[in-house]
Amino acid sequence: MLKFPNPEDENKKFNRVISKIRKIDEAELQTLKRRINIAMGVILFFIGILIIRLWFLQILRGPQYLKLSENNRIRLEWIAAPRGNILDRNGQPLISNRPYFNITWTKEDSTNPGETIREMAKILKVDTSEILQRIREAADYPRHLPILLKEDVDWPTLVYIENHQYDLPGIHVEALPSRKYQFGNLASHLVGYLGKINKNELEKYNGLYQPSDQIGKLGLEKLYENILRGEKGRRYVEVDVHGFEQRQIMEQEPLPGKDLKLTIDINLQKTAEDALSGKAGAVVVMDVNNGKLLTISSSPPLELREFIGGISNKNWQAMLNNPLHPFINKAIQGQYPPGSTYKIVTALAGLSEKVITPETTFNCTGSMKLYGRRYHCWKRSGHGIVNLKKALRESCDVYFYQVGLKVGVDKLAKYAASLGLGHKTGIKLAHEKSGLVPTKDWKKRRYKQAWQEGETMSTAIGQGFNLVTPLQVCLMTATLANGGTRYRPQLISEIIDENGRVEKPFKAIIDGHALGSQQSLAYIRAGLVAAVNEKHGTGSVAKLASILVGGKTGTAQVVKLAQYRHVAADEIPYKYRDHAWFTCFAPADKPEIAITVLVEHGRHGGSGAGPIAKAILDEYFKDRLKP
Amino acid sequence: MFQFDRRLIFNFSWALLMTLLVVIGMSLANLYSATAINGRSPICMKQIYFYVIGFSIILAIISVDYRVFITWNYFLYTAVIILLVVAMLFGNSAGGAQRWINFGFFKLQPSEPAKLSLVITLASYYYRKDTGKGFTLKDLLIPGLLAGLPFVLILKQPDLGTALMLAFVAISMTLFVKLRWTTLIIIVSLVLTIIPIAWKFGLKPYQRQRVQTFLNPESDPLNKGYHIIQSKIAVGSGGRFGKGYLKGTQVHLDFLPEHHTDFAFSVWAEEFGFTGSLVFLSCYTFMLLLGLNIALSARDKFGVLLAFGVVALIFWQAFINLAMVMGLLPVVGMPLPLFSYGGSSLLTTMAGIGILFSVRMRRFMAGKG
Repeated sequence: MLKFPNPEDENKKFNRVISKIRKIDEAELQTLKRRINIAMGVILFFIGILIIRLWFLQILRGPQYLKLSENNRIRLEWIAAPRGNILDRNGQPLISNRPYFNITWTKEDSTNPGETIREMAKILKVDTSEILQRIREAADYPRHLPILLKEDVDWPTLVYIENHQYDLPGIHVEALPSRKYQFGNLASHLVGYLGKINKNELEKYNGLYQPSDQIGKLGLEKLYENILRGEKGRRYVEVDVHGFEQRQIMEQEPLPGKDLKLTIDINLQKTAEDALSGKAGAVVVMDVNNGKLLTISSSPPLELREFIGGISNKNWQAMLNNPLHPFINKAIQGQYPPGSTYKIVTALAGLSEKVITPETTFNCTGSMKLYGRRYHCWKRSGHGIVNLKKALRESCDVYFYQVGLKVGVDKLAKYAASLGLGHKTGIKLAHEKSGLVPTKDWKKRRYKQAWQEGETMSTAIGQGFNLVTPLQVCLMTATLANGGTRYRPQLISEIIDENGRVEKPFKAIIDGHALGSQQSLAYIRAGLVAAVNEKHGTGSVAKLASILVGGKTGTAQVVKLAQYRHVAADEIPYKYRDHAWFTCFAPADKPEIAITVLVEHGRHGGSGAGPIAKAILDEYFKDRLKP
Repeated sequence: MFQFDRRLIFNFSWALLMTLLVVIGMSLANLYSATAINGRSPICMKQIYFYVIGFSIILAIISVDYRVFITWNYFLYTAVIILLVVAMLFGNSAGGAQRWINFGFFKLQPSEPAKLSLVITLASYYYRKDTGKGFTLKDLLIPGLLAGLPFVLILKQPDLGTALMLAFVAISMTLFVKLRWTTLIIIVSLVLTIIPIAWKFGLKPYQRQRVQTFLNPESDPLNKGYHIIQSKIAVGSGGRFGKGYLKGTQVHLDFLPEHHTDFAFSVWAEEFGFTGSLVFLSCYTFMLLLGLNIALSARDKFGVLLAFGVVALIFWQAFINLAMVMGLLPVVGMPLPLFSYGGSSLLTTMAGIGILFSVRMRRFMAGKG
């Protein structure tokens, strides 16, 4: 029941409070008067002090200060700080700095703007309209702030301008560090690029940057901007009426940015990217014992050099329209069906839920029927009697259909999650996608339909609703290889401060453990070793001479069009071709690395992705393989 | 509470309103000069909006009998303390000091309303506990704590200037009410002994550095003494009559940082010289004296204390700021009330002035003996 306060009652209540407030009586009033007069006197006294000081500054010393303010104009100039380098795990620089010269014009210092602009157009070899455009864009800058006329001018232009300084009042040369990409576009998605700072970023960092600064826009350059940036130095110079430097008064050295030492191995990264060139896809190589990433690559790469000084609109559009999507970092943003690589999950689920043992067999005749529908194995003629090892070696679909049915989709999801699928790995990169591991609940929420048993079968062989990123598959492989520990994938090995001291050494992070026993994991590893080293193994392309490699191929269906079912693989149009997966670990007895390769539309895992993994294995083990 | 009485208008202080408007006029003109680029000054516009809001706050306050603050004072005090704590934990920093909370459209500095709230709280406390026999040290314990809490919170932001100013205001109000002589002596001695200790252990190194730089700014002219020297140049170069409106060179040549906030008066001094500065100081002082007059005319002790506290608040801030600008005090972050750019300070000061109006208007409302 709402009861509004009665205004009459409120007034009465208030008056009661007020009536208790005493009026001031006469005696009190006198004391008060006295004290307030004292207060007035105090105020006048302090104001008096201020007036005397003003007289001192303005009347007595006025002329002196006037002279100071007119003749000696002190200007603050910023000194750019060298940006931190990005190094690989052995200290080799991936990205370092080179000097970079901008030409600026300061409105306030110029005596004849029109003429100067015309001169500059000639010197810089641009149209006067271009210069005027830049000036118009900077219309609301204060008059003493320099306007950027041209970036990254070449040496001859620079020398000319320096020599003709006195004929070009208001024109200044600004030296900045810029990036040098030692290895071209190597690890382009990872390292990212710099660009001119925009309004939002200027506001966000509130005074830390000037409008002509460069700031990391993508990748590590952006994520670790605060570490790489260092701190600008400053110079106080005395300038005359035209802005020409009279003398330097004080200089505070800039603080160089800190270096980032990555976990990446340049040689492995290069091998991976060379092998991927011309294709669209991703490679991830992880150290299974601590989560360090030795390689993370996405193809096609970003043309990093296009971004120096600001990318042209033409190039930007070209990149956006490229059907191979260079902007997407496929290693973490590409979500694909895992294909047969998922059989690792199904195998683990089957063993751990005790619906199979390594010796349990099923008969693969090339297909099986469920509720009237026929589900095929990739080998139409069938694999015959299959146990776990054979099923993994030859990637028998029917075997895993059976296991999947017995385990059920929700349990499959559990084991998948424990191996790192279906959720973000937590790698410190932007835009990581989480993939998808279907469950009955999920389907009900998403499609408002009940789960069908047949879908369990597709799920069990890694088709259907399943989606994974190459990083997740690599993480799963690494977890399998090291005996069940799921490490956080990490990219930064060390942060090195300007004195060469290591600020933040690497620390491995354990995110979880695979469900299931060590035994089960060992059986699965054995199956994968068989796939590479035994006859009929689907992964034989990755076989090494003296080191045991365990691997799994996978073929992810892009689309199941009946019309292409019997068409020869090369004749299917590119965009409908299946994706090729290959994931492996080595050496099998004491695993060190896990490699995952995805080639978009590469068709078969073994032939499409396998050779790339082999190339990487060769490079990694090159010192250990006997000739 | 909301009774409308013709006597309210009769006792309205037109003098205060006039003076206030003159000061505001000077402030806006000065702000325009300090911040205009190509004939536009969005900062000036923003300040005008704040003034408009400020006047609505004044209207809101004068339509209420100021004596409600007695009942509300602990609520206000708690709210302000909460805001200070929030600012400390979640607040945004600039230059390493956590001072404000970002509400998106408005950045609130809790230390500003905290000042006014403290005045109200102390006024209520001293009014209620006033026995006429003077306060003893024991009596001062609670006011000490009441003032101490925001003092410490603000000091930790770290905002030495505002914390000290709070202390001055609290001390002014305490000295204003009747103290026993013994109490006064004890306090003075305590303060004198604490100062060297606070110097060594209480101040952060950069704050100590500020005082040292202040004492000898020429020793480090372009690093730490920069602001002081530039400000003195600005003020001094104004000479007798100033360089003229909009013609101050220190400002638009970017030599004088913070010229629209803490150093706003330097701009005025440079452009209008000694004459102009005197005019401004006279108006400002006149406004303060009017405030004290209102205190004198209040009908009850609470009104006296409130008015006195508000005047002390505005006065100390103004004095510290002006002294700093003229190189008489070290650089601390302290705006000149009504003159410097800044929403929180402006609104709090307007609220205080609203209280002054309210006290004056209700001097006829007698309580029963």
